[in-house]
Amino acid sequence: MAYVATRGGERAIEQSQRLFREAMGDISADRIQEIRDAMPYLIDRVMGEASLYDEDLAALALAQAGGELYEAILLLRAWRTTQPRLALAAPVTQESLFTHRRISAAFKDIPGGQVLGPTLDYAHRILATEVLSGDTYVPTPVDPAEKPAPAQQPSVAAWQAENGLLTLPQADAVQGNDIPDVTREPLLFPAKRAHTLQSLARAETGGVLALGYAAQRGYGQAHPTVNELRLAEAEVVVTHPRGTRFSAGRVKVSQAEVVNKKGEQLELGFAATMGWNEVKVIAAATLDLNSDGAPKGSATEEEFFLYHTEGVESSGFCIHFKLPHYVTFQSSLDAMRDAKAKKAAKATTPEPAE
Amino acid sequence: MSLKSLTKDWEPMSYGFLDASAKREIRRKTLKAIAVPGCQMPYASREVPMARGWGTGGLQVSCTLINPKTTVKVIDQGADDSVNAASIRRFLARVSGAPTTTDTLKADLIQSRHRIPEEVLREDQILVLQVPNPEPLRPVQPNMSIARQMHADADYGRMWLQLYEQIVRSGRVMQGASYPSLVHGRFVMTPSPIPRWDVPKMHMAKHLTILSAGREKRIHAVPPFTRVEPLVFDDVPYRVEEHGDLTCTRSGAKGYFMNEIPQPDGTSTYEVSDSELGVKTIRSSEGETIDIGQTWYQNGEMAQ
Repeated sequence: MAYVATRGGERAIEQSQRLFREAMGDISADRIQEIRDAMPYLIDRVMGEASLYDEDLAALALAQAGGELYEAILLLRAWRTTQPRLALAAPVTQESLFTHRRISAAFKDIPGGQVLGPTLDYAHRILATEVLSGDTYVPTPVDPAEKPAPAQQPSVAAWQAENGLLTLPQADAVQGNDIPDVTREPLLFPAKRAHTLQSLARAETGGVLALGYAAQRGYGQAHPTVNELRLAEAEVVVTHPRGTRFSAGRVKVSQAEVVNKKGEQLELGFAATMGWNEVKVIAAATLDLNSDGAPKGSATEEEFFLYHTEGVESSGFCIHFKLPHYVTFQSSLDAMRDAKAKKAAKATTPEPAE
Repeated sequence: MSLKSLTKDWEPMSYGFLDASAKREIRRKTLKAIAVPGCQMPYASREVPMARGWGTGGLQVSCTLINPKTTVKVIDQGADDSVNAASIRRFLARVSGAPTTTDTLKADLIQSRHRIPEEVLREDQILVLQVPNPEPLRPVQPNMSIARQMHADADYGRMWLQLYEQIVRSGRVMQGASYPSLVHGRFVMTPSPIPRWDVPKMHMAKHLTILSAGREKRIHAVPPFTRVEPLVFDDVPYRVEEHGDLTCTRSGAKGYFMNEIPQPDGTSTYEVSDSELGVKTIRSSEGETIDIGQTWYQNGEMAQ
């Protein structure tokens, strides 16, 4: 018997997973808590790309995948897909957000004020190597401001609209279950506005950055000015079956508005995501700003960037090339060899006389 | 009446992994795909616990069709023992309780990547092919929305031009696997990256073929007894791989699609690609009574 390998494949799979997991050791509740508390920005990135807001699950996914981001996000997406949709939250508006950080590059000062909030933007990037020799790095406590910034802030675009600098987009009247959901229906082009913003919200940060950066560097027509960047918490307001509206909690959100001069008006690019991820929303808003009228096949065309920044799809396809392809390869070899033989035969056969 | 009598008990996972709404969508889109043979139907394509590009499209269709009585066979590149086939088979069995088999004749549902088994499939069997790229026009038009319009217009001129250019440049059509084929005289489809050897098996076949691309979110189908004609010019006949005269060194099977195994001395030996056909041939030659079904190819030639 030459061919009884069926079980062999299964055994190999099992052992390969054990090898991978052995390196990570035991996963305990303590480990999950440590990951969650120590790496909020990593958790945020993962939650955003997974479109699943749950810090514990995100930390668990990271622990289970050993920090392999694409794996962690796939774990969460695969879990998310099995969950029922229990309720719909009320829409959140910019002015209602509990704002931690909100800056505008367009004006020196803005109504509500520039609120720097938590950021390393102006930090000197120096490693605290003393920790490696046994010291504990203890962050210096924050001195609270004498007058705290207001928690709710108006949007910069609203001021610009009042002053005739830009036309605000028409408010979308679609409500509740009628709001298109890209996780429950296919993405087709030209994409529904909801699908575009949802896709950008769950796009892979690195991919959005690569294409957004290409647009910023000059492969896009519009140069973004960060009109407003906001890190905030949004109230998740749901309606109880008895009719009571209540907050089911808060989720961290980021959003960016970028503008560009187009004739006598400013045009607006927008992106938002769950969790705090500034790079992603600025890059995504840049793509949104550039997508209108972008040539087919260019990096700023909606179809191009939405397809290619889908992290679960792109990473999955990339690693699928590890799978055996010997049937397709054999098929190509057959055509190649035959074409080569034909050419050789042609070279040795003398041209027939005229 | 109580809430309990109206609802099911909570379970951590639905039967067949996908929830009812996902299955319903796939059923609807599959029916549409069968109704319009070869036409790509967009679907939401839920995430499943496997990476995109690893058979998630086929898996979603299998998860939707499966029930505890469905006997499932999973193959990858013709082999039941390939690691990814083993992984998908284990998953399907785990989420459905369905029995599995490696015997093509005993299977009700066959999920396959890049091969159609050599034994003829019956009316009661369903073949689910995993599709990496559902769009045959991709090489001539990478933009999905333009390609969709081209299908609507049956605008396949560039497809023909591409084949013509290959003949002019190389003396033959250079397409390896995924040979573009006209279904029911209307839609050009990709038969998925099956070798050219397997495409004629789809033509007027008794079985239903469902082709599903998870990453690209498209389902298309070839219903039973439907014409599937590879795109060829009248004066340049369609050619399958020259495997008709090859013999499997392990089983002695002859006249089927083979895997080429390079040898240290610079030569090659061949193994039959349909691994279960190899197993059956070996068992049969060792004197066991084995039921080998009729094969599409006989003596290396496609039976008419």
